[in-house]
Order: sequence, then structure tokens, then C-alpha cells
Amino acid sequence: MKTLNSAKGASRVLKNLKLWNKGEDFVDTDIRIDAEGKLVSKEEKDFKPDQEIDCNGALVLPALFGLGLDFMEPLRDDVYTFKNGLDAMRRGGFYGGLYESAANPIDDADKMVAMKLRFGNCGKNDGMDIKFLGAYSKGFGSDSLAEMLDLADAGAVGFGDGGASIPHSRFLRLAMEYGKMTGKRFFFQPMDKTLRHSGCVHEGAYSDMLGMKGIPRIAETIAAYTVLETARFLQVPVHFKQVTCGETLDLIRNARKQGIDVTCDVGLYHLLLDDSSLETLDSAFHLIPPLRSADDSEALWKGLEDGTVTAISMNLTPVLRQDTEVNFEDSIPGALSLEIALPAIWKKLCARVGVARALELLAFAPARLVGARLPENFENFVVIDPDKPSKVTEKVFAGHVCNSPFLGKELPSSVLGTYINGVWTE
Amino acid sequence: MGALQIKHLFGLQGVSKQDIRTILDNAKQFREILERPIKKVPSLRGLTVVNLFFENSTRTRTSFELAEKRLSADTVNFASSNSSVKKGETLVDTLRNIESMKIDIVVVRHKGTGVPKFLAEHSNAIIVNAGDGAHEHPTQALLDMLTVEEKLGTLEGKKVAIVGDIRHSRVARSNIWGMTTMGAHVTLCGPSTLVPRNTELLQYKELAGSVSWETDVNKAVQDADAVIALRLQKERMDDALLPSMREYRNFFGITEQVLESAKDKVLIMHPGPINRGVELDSEIADGEHSVILNQVTNGVAVRMAVLFLLAGGRNENA
Repeated sequence: MKTLNSAKGASRVLKNLKLWNKGEDFVDTDIRIDAEGKLVSKEEKDFKPDQEIDCNGALVLPALFGLGLDFMEPLRDDVYTFKNGLDAMRRGGFYGGLYESAANPIDDADKMVAMKLRFGNCGKNDGMDIKFLGAYSKGFGSDSLAEMLDLADAGAVGFGDGGASIPHSRFLRLAMEYGKMTGKRFFFQPMDKTLRHSGCVHEGAYSDMLGMKGIPRIAETIAAYTVLETARFLQVPVHFKQVTCGETLDLIRNARKQGIDVTCDVGLYHLLLDDSSLETLDSAFHLIPPLRSADDSEALWKGLEDGTVTAISMNLTPVLRQDTEVNFEDSIPGALSLEIALPAIWKKLCARVGVARALELLAFAPARLVGARLPENFENFVVIDPDKPSKVTEKVFAGHVCNSPFLGKELPSSVLGTYINGVWTE
Repeated sequence: MGALQIKHLFGLQGVSKQDIRTILDNAKQFREILERPIKKVPSLRGLTVVNLFFENSTRTRTSFELAEKRLSADTVNFASSNSSVKKGETLVDTLRNIESMKIDIVVVRHKGTGVPKFLAEHSNAIIVNAGDGAHEHPTQALLDMLTVEEKLGTLEGKKVAIVGDIRHSRVARSNIWGMTTMGAHVTLCGPSTLVPRNTELLQYKELAGSVSWETDVNKAVQDADAVIALRLQKERMDDALLPSMREYRNFFGITEQVLESAKDKVLIMHPGPINRGVELDSEIADGEHSVILNQVTNGVAVRMAVLFLLAGGRNENA
């Protein structure tokens, strides 16, 4: 992965590209990049590129917006940092994202300010649109309300819980009741902790066969129903992160009919994988919420098609190598995603929902959800060759961790380069 | 004696009928050797076996150790309770350290599903699973199968009932795979909180049609050729999976009355240790149908066969 941001780089013209032109339409284009990685307009007649590269009809798409980004910094910067995260975003073609870190609850305004400062000080991030979720409880998972009014003033775009199970019903009500004053949306991982118990995989045929403790679908649906009823009662907007089964989508459909303001996302890996991968016993497939059955995955695709699902989330969760190089149940769940998301899902996504809806799910809707600027004017873009397979190696990932179920696998497409915040990276 | 298609023994899922046949046939020969005045053979002389037990075990570890000594292997015992694992060493580091001592075979027991496979991916040693979580305990199932064949001649067409805490039982899972591969029909029986929750299990690939389950123990043992009672752990009550031992015994215990519907020569089996008066009444455990002590003897023979065949397979490939 090379970043052309120095005078030592070669200037180039990327020829034979197709630029997305709304809907399902593309127009032919070339991209001209100078030696410093800056775009050169067509009006610049004196531009003489060092290289001409034929891109064979590769697509130029607006840059993406990632939901569920845990860059781990500051408390676990031994694992991953803002710098790593921004590098990963550039590699994968993301111009912005929503930061929420399980290890770093932003539960007061000072922490929000400190986080923004830290982000601002980590180098080439000019224009990178990172939004932050505030915590609704102190320290995540406590029974004490966070200072949500202050947090909203400090820039929190919503309130979340760092991926924890939903709190008990009384605290849930109080948190949403208090947070309602901010007008912000609450983000929940729909998971009932008592039904999850010590489960680590989907409760189904594979958990039964392998003797591993399962997490039933009702751990998700009961939690979702509890949240939706509270949202209906209080009239507070809610968002469900990483929905994994069709039953939850049914609850969301019904809730919308009742006028509840509810949005939801589904995870990249939950669309592309299912619990049959558990047969490998490979801890790379250890995700929470768990990969569910093939039928569940298909129900999520149907939710993308019929508009129930608002966005596709990235759920970047870096894990140290030593915490993945153990048996499945003892491993720490999580996966990297930003660098490989687009080449992993683009072809299948377009085949199922078309180009416009695909971009809505990956770029526009997630940005709209958190009030970020929309990627409308191609200030940032990603160039993808849908038909050129790419191999996922450790070098693909930013930082020193590489936990991904796709490590070593071949993806159907390739990112040829990204142009993010004035820097061309390929 | 033929070599095996498998290089390690992680479990019986996916192990061919031919390999199981080879192990059982070899075990029968080792069984005969165990009856001789001098029970030791030089088959594994010069090889070193480490018994890597991350969970407490008395009978399985002793059985493996005895099998290794009968085969003239050098044996080392490693228990996590007094090891570097207690000091925070990772599983891989533990294995690499042990392997650096030039170990040939690792017999491993661990609370986590898939640990034997994981170790094989990080080691050159031959790995034998002595129990991984609730996943598999293949040598226990093999000794169960050997015991049935020894008493009834074959597993083909036999009906085997497994009664008790199926959900948490690695013994049950290995027996499901092994016995169905060898042509038996397996009926699972237990309280609904202690059996697998998903009926898809019964339809899974090669299991389809070979496994059924019952919540009525009388129906489960009807016409059974063998009944395997599983140990009920007291922790299940603490976890609210069962109301009481008393109720379990009354509805799922193997009693004289329950066995009336089984075949006349039904075999009573148990992986041990037994909770007398809970999963098995004493008169059943010690009665004429009980083959529980035969299972223990066969355990040594089966483990000798497994170690011998896996080591032999490796030497042939070298």
C-alpha cells in the first residue's frame, strides 16, 4: 500500500474508468494525479504524467462511511490507534466513520474534548469526518447516568453502550428518558445478557455439534423488543447495531408501522458468512454478536432489499494476535474490516440491490444517520475493479494486528486506489 | 496392522468406518495382550508421549498413561494446576516449550472445544484428544464401541440409548459420530434442558436417520441393545438446568423397571464416575447386564491401539 503524498511519487493518469453518475448509471472518465498525490483537473493542459494506467473499466465510487469503528485508543493503544484506523480508512476508501470503543467510554464532556484533540493530533486527518458516540452510562454498563446533556453539547452524535448487552429495563428507561432532552438517537446492541449467558456462538446445529455454548436468537429479539417498547413509550429515536436475524427485522418493520423512529444496521461479516464456518474451529470466526445460520444471513439480505436495513456496518474490532492464537472459546471476538469491506461485498451487494442502494447502504445512509456530511461531490472517492480478485494478506491491514475471517482468502474484487482528503493511496 | 487415514485423533466426526474398524480390530489384539502375564510390548519404544491435561482427570489420564507404558513409550505428565499455565503462559507457548523437548505424541485434555486441532496446527507432534470441552472424547467412544462389539459381536443394526446430560457431554457427541458410522442407531434421552436444542442436528449430513431422541426414558430404552448412562453433574442444579437429583432419578434414572422394555441381553454402560442412585441404581451398576468394568479395561486397549496406529502412520510417512 503506497501513499502518493510526496514529491518523490510518480504522476499518473488512470484511464478507462467509469464514474458513478447517480442511480445505476456510470460515465467514462480518466483521473489525473500529480506527483504529490493531488488530483489534476482536465483544464490543466500542461500536465504531463509519468505513467498511464489502463484501469479496464474500474468503477469510481463515492468514498464510504463506516459505522462501529473501535480504534482502541487511548486505553488500548497497544492494540490499535487512531493513526492505524485512519490509515485503514484510507486504504479501504472511507472518508468518515462513527467511533465507539468498548475500552474507551466517552462518558463526560472532558473525555469527548480529549478524544477529539487526540484525533486531531494524529496526523493527516484533515477533513476526515469522524463522529463520536457518547456513553449513556458511566463507564458503560453501570447504573449511573452519564452527563448526556454536556456530552451532546460537546459533540456526541448519539448515545451508546460500547457493544454491551442492553441494561436492565429500569435503567434503560431512565437513560432514554434523560437522554431524550438532547434529541439524539440511542444506539443499542440488541443482546439480552442473561440469555447470552456465557455463549460465544450462534445457538444452532453447529453449536450443538461442537458442544459450544450458544447465543439464541431470542437473546437479540427480546432485547430489541424491550428497547422498542421503551422507545415507543418515550418517543426516543433508536438504532440497532449489528442485527443478526430476520425476527429482529420483523420487529423493526412492525415498530415502524407504529411510528417508532428506529434504524438498524447489519454487519459486513454477518452478510457474507454464517455459522457453518464454525466447523473450522478457527477463532477468526469468533464475532459478537455471533455469525448465525445461512437462513438468518439470507433474511438480512432480504432486509437490505426491502429497505428495512438502514446501513451496513463495519464493526472494526482489532484483536491482538496472542488473543486470537488460542482455541475458539478462549479467543477475544472481533474482526478488522475497513480495508477489505468493499472488495468483499461489492459484487454480491450490487447483484442483490443495485449500485444506488449499495452506495446508500455503505456511504450515504451511515453518514446521514450520524449527521455527517454526505459524499456527494466526489471530494473523496474509491476506485474498485469489481472483477479483479484480490488476496487478503497481513499487509493489507493497517497497524500490527490482522484479525479477519478473510485473512488468506481471495476476495472477488480489488480496490485499485482511494482518494481521501487530498491524498491518493493505492 | 494397517495405518490410519487420520494423522491425529481430534474426534470421531469425519473419521472413516475403515479407520474405526482398524482401531477396534487392533484394540482387540491389545486386549488379548493385556490378559497375558507380561503385558508390555515394545511398539512405542523410543517415542515420548506427553499427557497434557488442562482439566482434572484421574481415570482417563491413568488409562492413557498405562497404555503408553504398556507400549514402552517414555511418558511425561503435565497438569495445568502446577504449571506455567497458571503463570499466564499461552497455550501455544506451552506447547512450543514442551515440543522443544522433542515430544512425539501429545495427549491433550482441555475445557475448550477444538484445542487438539488448534495444537496440531501449531505443532509437529501427533495429537490425541482426551476430551475437549463438550465437543468430543473419541477414545471413550471407541472403548464403548469396543465393549459393545466384544459382547454383541457387532454394532451394525444395534440400538444404543444414551441417557442423561447430552448437551454437555463430549462422550455422547463422540458416540453419536462413531456408533452411527459403524451402523448403529442412537437414541438420545434427557431432560429438555440437557439435550441439544436444535433438531437440525438430527438432519446433519450423515447423521440423518441414524439419530433420534426421546424425553421418555422408557421409550428411549425400548428394544435397546445397549444403554449408556451419562454422569449428571451437580453444577447443573446450580445453573437452574434441573430442579433436583431426586426428580432426575425418578424420570431419567436407569432402574430395573425402566430396563424391562430393553432387550433381554441389554448392556449397561457408563463412562464413570457413577452417581449411584441418580443416573444408575446400584443394582443395575453392579448387576448382570453391567459392562462398566469391561469398559475400563477396554479403555487401555483402545488407547494402546490409537497411539500405536497413529505413531505407526507417522513413521510410514517419514
